Amino acid sequence: MGDTAIQPAGPAVPARLPGGARSVPYRIWADASRSGFMRVGLVLFVVLLAAAVAWPEISGTDPLKSAIRERFLPPILFGDKWSWAHPLGTDQLGRDMLLRSLIGLRYSLLIGVLTVILMFVVGCGLGLLSGFKGGWVDTVIMRLTDAQLSIPMIILAISILGVSRPSVASIILVLGLSGWPLYARVVRSVTLGERKKEFVRGARVLGASDWRIMALLIAPNVLPPVAFVAVLDIARMMIFESVLGFLGLGIQPPTPSFGNIIADGRKYLINAWWIATAPGVFLALTLTSINLMGAALERARNRAYAGES
Amino acid sequence: MALLGVLLRRLAQGLVIVLLTALIIFTLLRVVPGDPVRLIVGGMAPDNVVEEVARKMGLRDPLLIQFGHYAGGLVQGDLGHSYQRPKSGAIAQGGVYNDPTRGEMAAVSDLILERAPLTLQLAATALVLALLFSLPVGIAGGLHPGRWPDTLAFFIGCLFVSLPNFWLGIVLALVVTVQLGWLPSIGYRNYAYTLLPAIVLAVELSPFLIRSLTVSVAAVMREHFIEAGEVRGLGRARVVLHALRNASVPLLNLIGIQLSTLLGGVLVVEYIFDYPGLGQLTVNAVLQRDFPLIQGIAIVASGIFVLVNILVDVAATKIDPRLEY
Repeated sequence: MGDTAIQPAGPAVPARLPGGARSVPYRIWADASRSGFMRVGLVLFVVLLAAAVAWPEISGTDPLKSAIRERFLPPILFGDKWSWAHPLGTDQLGRDMLLRSLIGLRYSLLIGVLTVILMFVVGCGLGLLSGFKGGWVDTVIMRLTDAQLSIPMIILAISILGVSRPSVASIILVLGLSGWPLYARVVRSVTLGERKKEFVRGARVLGASDWRIMALLIAPNVLPPVAFVAVLDIARMMIFESVLGFLGLGIQPPTPSFGNIIADGRKYLINAWWIATAPGVFLALTLTSINLMGAALERARNRAYAGES
Repeated sequence: MALLGVLLRRLAQGLVIVLLTALIIFTLLRVVPGDPVRLIVGGMAPDNVVEEVARKMGLRDPLLIQFGHYAGGLVQGDLGHSYQRPKSGAIAQGGVYNDPTRGEMAAVSDLILERAPLTLQLAATALVLALLFSLPVGIAGGLHPGRWPDTLAFFIGCLFVSLPNFWLGIVLALVVTVQLGWLPSIGYRNYAYTLLPAIVLAVELSPFLIRSLTVSVAAVMREHFIEAGEVRGLGRARVVLHALRNASVPLLNLIGIQLSTLLGGVLVVEYIFDYPGLGQLTVNAVLQRDFPLIQGIAIVASGIFVLVNILVDVAATKIDPRLEY
């Protein structure tokens, strides 16, 4: 998805325009927040986030503690054994599905956000360097991205995690290192245009070092539009994380994650369908909220740059 | 001829990439902790047996020598033999582990060739289904920017991209197979077994196709030659047809890029539906630490990536001769 999500942004303009005009990131944000999709996504996301953060703390139950007599309780309004104490029912060990789903959501969001930050930092850093320095630095970095884009990363990722024992850190590392090349390419192409601009040449005449120019002059113009689009990648990485969990290569049980709950629930699909499906509804809702926001931001960004050229 | 030269150069570059993939995956499998021999001989075997088997298999040689042996076979088209899977017919007797040194293990290339047709069938069906769905939705969205077809395309894209494939697969199996009994889903007996997995993959691919179509159709419709066509009195259908030809180039490129999404999807979907293709083979190879099999599949996959992307570029220049190689 990052494959399509981040396309080279058009010519960037300085982040702070003179004469009181609002900056480009601000205008993108303002434009996006007028969209109904953005609002729906934001509200949904805030509700889910609040639930994930707060409910496990205030519910006072332990997501790992089993209660054999309460196992296989259906969600509310289904069947006749349901109870208000377990709105989404319980699993094969009598553990509360709502609580487990929310813990899964915590891990999923944590891994998604940290992975995207890693990808963003590595990719944008190398892209800036590549575009600004040019020459052999550029060649090496670009050939590296070419190679990595042609290697079936999914096989590489599951092989590494399958052979070693997966942890939160190794999951983030593997996913993050598979996603950076697209960021590098986009940032490089924008940087190429940027470095010829007058304010960059001016800074150089004034004696600014390469690092100073990259960090203080180019990065603020190049990175925010890419960052808006990176929101979509959070959802993509959350899906990857859950796929890994489903294959048994993600967060290991008994710690709940969307993937391992659903993989477990699959064994009881016929008699207790909610174990495999209920967490998925949560995950899908969260992903929808993020994708609605991300896509609205992306559209606003595209409009902002289309309006300028 | 320019085309031939470009093709040769691209193929040579592709070969380097495939070799690089082989080297990377070969090294990573051996550097990351986790001993395949332990799985082969069983957890109860004494350490000296483990060591002996490992030495016989060459797993204690220096990495470069191991890779040298492997690459030597590779150039002759030999992908090695599986650690875990016996040749069909050769069954391990009870209590005796499959000794990978005894030469009755299945060749990796046979295992892959045996599974490949089913996976191709699945991928092709998925692609056709995805296009059948995405073309009308995406084109309608692109022709009416800002109106309801555009909003619908946008919403469908957001929704479909938010459905995790493994969960969708389970839900569809539950509803379509178990509740309704419309389509079979577990295993493979005839073509009907391909449909449900293909639908899941199509849902995963559609958002990208729809988005690309909406954006590129809308962009092409703003071009001057569209106006010119209208001025010359061409019918709406003719004009749109012209626009589609131009909009199909980004779509084609996208399919090349989305191959990795398709591959990831195939792995998961085949695993869920117990569909006996390459994806299921891969997941099981990883879970069993069957190094030669993992390597073989990774190499074949990167070879396919390279070839498809070359084909896509060639096809794109045929559709739009203004493009350069």
